[in-house]
Amino acid sequence: MIPAPTPENEAGRIAALYAALLLDTPREERFDKIVEFAAREFDVPIALISLIDSDRQWFKAAVGLGEVCQTGRDISFCGHAIMRNDIMVIPDALQDPRFADNPLVTDWPHIRFYAGAPLIQRDGYALGTLCVIDTKPRQFDDVELAILSTLRGLLMQELEGGNG
Amino acid sequence: MAEQNMLLVEPETMLRRTVAMTARSLGMAHIHEAASVTMARELLRHQKFDGAVIAIDAGGGHDLSLLDQLRQGRTLSKATIPVAVLAEQCDGTLLAALRERGVNRVILKPFRARTLLDCFSALAQG
Repeated sequence: MIPAPTPENEAGRIAALYAALLLDTPREERFDKIVEFAAREFDVPIALISLIDSDRQWFKAAVGLGEVCQTGRDISFCGHAIMRNDIMVIPDALQDPRFADNPLVTDWPHIRFYAGAPLIQRDGYALGTLCVIDTKPRQFDDVELAILSTLRGLLMQELEGGNG
Repeated sequence: MAEQNMLLVEPETMLRRTVAMTARSLGMAHIHEAASVTMARELLRHQKFDGAVIAIDAGGGHDLSLLDQLRQGRTLSKATIPVAVLAEQCDGTLLAALRERGVNRVILKPFRARTLLDCFSALAQG
C-alpha cells in the first residue's frame, strides 16, 4: 500500500478546510441529497463527501458506511484523489499496487471500484472529494465521468455559495 | 449541424440540473429546463424545440395536457417533434393514451441522469 501523499500546499489547504467550517458539523440535507443521488445514479453501495483533514478523512455526507464517519488519512483513497485536478478512477483496487493491500480493500468495506472527484476551491485548494465506491470491479465511461463532474460542480456551488 | 434545442420538464431539481449541465459539458443538445408544466408552457411560447422529455406524473394521476398542446401544434415547435415521457408506472390504458399521442419512448422509475441523457441523444437523432 502507498499511503496517501501530502500536497505541496498542505498548510494553506488545511487552513482553507478549517475556514470552510465543515469539519465535525452535523449532517445537512443539501449534502445528503447529493450523495444519495450519486449512489442511485451510479448504482453503488457507497457514496461520500470526504474532507481530508491533517490525519483523517471525515465524511460530511455518506451513504453505505453506517455509523462510520471517518478513517485514517493514510489509508484513504480520497487522499490520493486530491493530488490531481481530474477525477481519479480505480477500476479494481486489487489490481492497483497503491491499494491492493489497503485495509479498506482487504477488509470492510471491501472497496474494489473507486471514482473520486476532487473538490477544488477557486483558490486552488482541494478540500476533499465527492466519491462513489463499489465492492465489485467496474469501469466508468465518459458519460459517467461527466455526470460525476456535474455533481461535483453542484456540490461546489453549495460549498462556495454557502446556501445553507 | 446546428445545436438542437431540447426541452426537459422534470420537477426534481438535482436530476434536471444534472442532465442539463452534463449535456452541456458533453457538447450534446442544449437542454432547456422546466420544473413544471406551467414553466414549460412559458418556454414553448418563446422557443422552438427539436424534442422533449416530459414528466407526466401529477398528484397520483397523469397530466397529458402539455403533450396534447405539442401534438395539436399549439406551440412554436413542430407538432411531430420526438417526445419521451417520464412516469412512475405505466399500465395498458396509459400506454394506449401515449401511443395515440405519438410518444417515442416511456421512461419508468427509477429515473437516472444517464438514462435521460441517452434518451436525449436518441431523440436528437430523430
